[in-house]
Amino acid sequence: MVSFIEIIDRALKGPFCSEKDFDLKVFVPRLREVVKKYKIKYDPENPIPSDNDLADRVFKAGVEFYTNVGTYCVDTERIIKFTEAEIEEALVTAPSAPVFGEGKEAKALVGRKPESDTPPWCFIGAGGAAVSNEELFVSILEAYASFLPLADSITTPSIKAINGKTVRAGSPLEILACIRSSVLSREALRRGGRPGLPIMNSIATAVSDTAKIAGSQFGLRPSDGWLIGTIAEMKISFERLNEIAYVLALGGHVVAETAPILGGYCGGPEGVAVANVAYHLNCILTMKGSTQLTFPIHFNHGCTTTRDVLWSVSASSQAISRNSHFPFFILSYTAAGPMTEMCLYELATAVTTSVVSGASIEFGGVTKATVVDHFTPMEPRLASEVAHGVVGMSRLRGNEIVKRLLAKYEEDIPRAPKGKKYEECWDIQSKEPKLEYLELYQKIKQELAEYGIRFKL
Amino acid sequence: MKKEEIFEDLIRAIVDLDEEKGKRAAIRLIEGKINPIEGVEKGLSNGMRIIGEKFNRSEVYLPEMIMAADIFNSVMEILKPHISAESLDKVKRGTVVIGTVKGDIHAIGKNIVAMLLETAGFAVYNLGEDVATSTFIEEARKVKADIIGLSSLLTTTMPAQKDVIDILKETGERDKYTILIGGAPTSQDWADEIGADGYGETAESAVSLALKLVAKKKRA
Repeated sequence: MVSFIEIIDRALKGPFCSEKDFDLKVFVPRLREVVKKYKIKYDPENPIPSDNDLADRVFKAGVEFYTNVGTYCVDTERIIKFTEAEIEEALVTAPSAPVFGEGKEAKALVGRKPESDTPPWCFIGAGGAAVSNEELFVSILEAYASFLPLADSITTPSIKAINGKTVRAGSPLEILACIRSSVLSREALRRGGRPGLPIMNSIATAVSDTAKIAGSQFGLRPSDGWLIGTIAEMKISFERLNEIAYVLALGGHVVAETAPILGGYCGGPEGVAVANVAYHLNCILTMKGSTQLTFPIHFNHGCTTTRDVLWSVSASSQAISRNSHFPFFILSYTAAGPMTEMCLYELATAVTTSVVSGASIEFGGVTKATVVDHFTPMEPRLASEVAHGVVGMSRLRGNEIVKRLLAKYEEDIPRAPKGKKYEECWDIQSKEPKLEYLELYQKIKQELAEYGIRFKL
Repeated sequence: MKKEEIFEDLIRAIVDLDEEKGKRAAIRLIEGKINPIEGVEKGLSNGMRIIGEKFNRSEVYLPEMIMAADIFNSVMEILKPHISAESLDKVKRGTVVIGTVKGDIHAIGKNIVAMLLETAGFAVYNLGEDVATSTFIEEARKVKADIIGLSSLLTTTMPAQKDVIDILKETGERDKYTILIGGAPTSQDWADEIGADGYGETAESAVSLALKLVAKKKRA
């Protein structure tokens, strides 16, 4: 595979292009060309299509698109490009079973297929949403370790304030908060009885490369995952490449994050599906990832549970999983918040779509991961139960379930309820959910079982 | 050709993203000695309004909005020499300086808001991302902005929105500008806390708010 040194060289010497020209004269027209050429068409009636030929066309379109477009380096204004042969080689030599975690939690992350009997990897927790202080941070992480038996890895929150001071990006407070995040995460997982669990979104509080690298010195392990993101669409910065340089030298895992935006330069659901495949290749080649974490997202609603985004998720997940062994996750964001029916319906919809389409899951961003302290262990718990409950399910059956669930919340997305705060949903002392949430949880779970989800817990 | 037909061609040029049609219609408008301001208001602006509505219904997306704005500007280059500076000011809703605050590189949501503001008739100065506090203020002074739009997508960069407001207070310029904030983690509560004039939860609501606040300021 093309080496990381060669990637840097291409970032420094590749074709020069202004950012605006890359957006409008390279990315947009090339994407439209392949969508048209491969006859990719969104079907709102079937958010989970059962069409292998469509999936394979989406994959071919993504490969052709990435060959033509490459990844744009915003610092050098040059394009990192690859030949078709290099892309083909990368698909053969990409990681297929990276091992995350320590001791009895150590486990290989493997790719899946649509309708697969292989259980999805459940990378669950907060999805990077902000928690107001260190005390709640520890409480939540401890609850993840003790209350999420199906968790294969943890996604931590970001810390909004330390020592009562609001954390500010680029300041020493950011570095201190990242250090605090690493130390407290490890301690909380130990207290919760699962010290070996891998943290795969390291470090949610970090914005700068300096803070991420500094914070990781205080308890992160090479068997954790360093979450390193691209810039929408199909761009990368030196800051992120700096992080990759560090992680690769450490022998650690890059969890390569991507987020094609529906309504942005990708256009509609067809463009998002193709771009998601191209991002998969970017994660292997440019980012040297051990896995891809991706979340096609709606530009206006800021969630992933709209019908058009779900179609993009399903079509691209099927495309990727049928044609690549490189493991990937779909991260989901709900519009509604904790202790609401809508939130639980949304997460069941998103997780069912991802799992029957061949993905593993990260869950997730509750209340769009934008409202401080608005997430609890209950949502990732249900997400993991649904994920295991739809293993082996046909896409056709998944589609029927998803359509029934969409009918319950779709119209309410623009005015989704924010729900309640962590402390209103979870008893910090007894480390258990409040009765009101437990009853709602059981009611929705029973309803989902009636739709055909086969719960194992 | 009747002037209504020319206005319709100007509308179609924007909605169908047909730059040549727009340029031809603009030339006919000038040759026919039709008031170019009428062409802007009944033709181009109407076209921008229609494409903005299509965007809100997810019938077109950001690339179409950018192309429509480019066509609007290129047709305006033909009309401008025939319009007095005073008349041009009248058709403009106001001037906006917009950007993503220091430390934050998120672009697309802010770019969508900038496009929608442009389609609504504002003159928009998009300063990009990771914009220094002083740059917002200097640019607002330079272009005599009505509105400063501050975007933040991270809880750790939200304080930079407050910085802009605090410095404007310190320099005694706070009342000169309407300050709008936006971005996923921001909220009306945050806007109230830092003393912003408004918060837009979605791109569409940001534009409605901008129109409302500018109209209110002009009436005052």
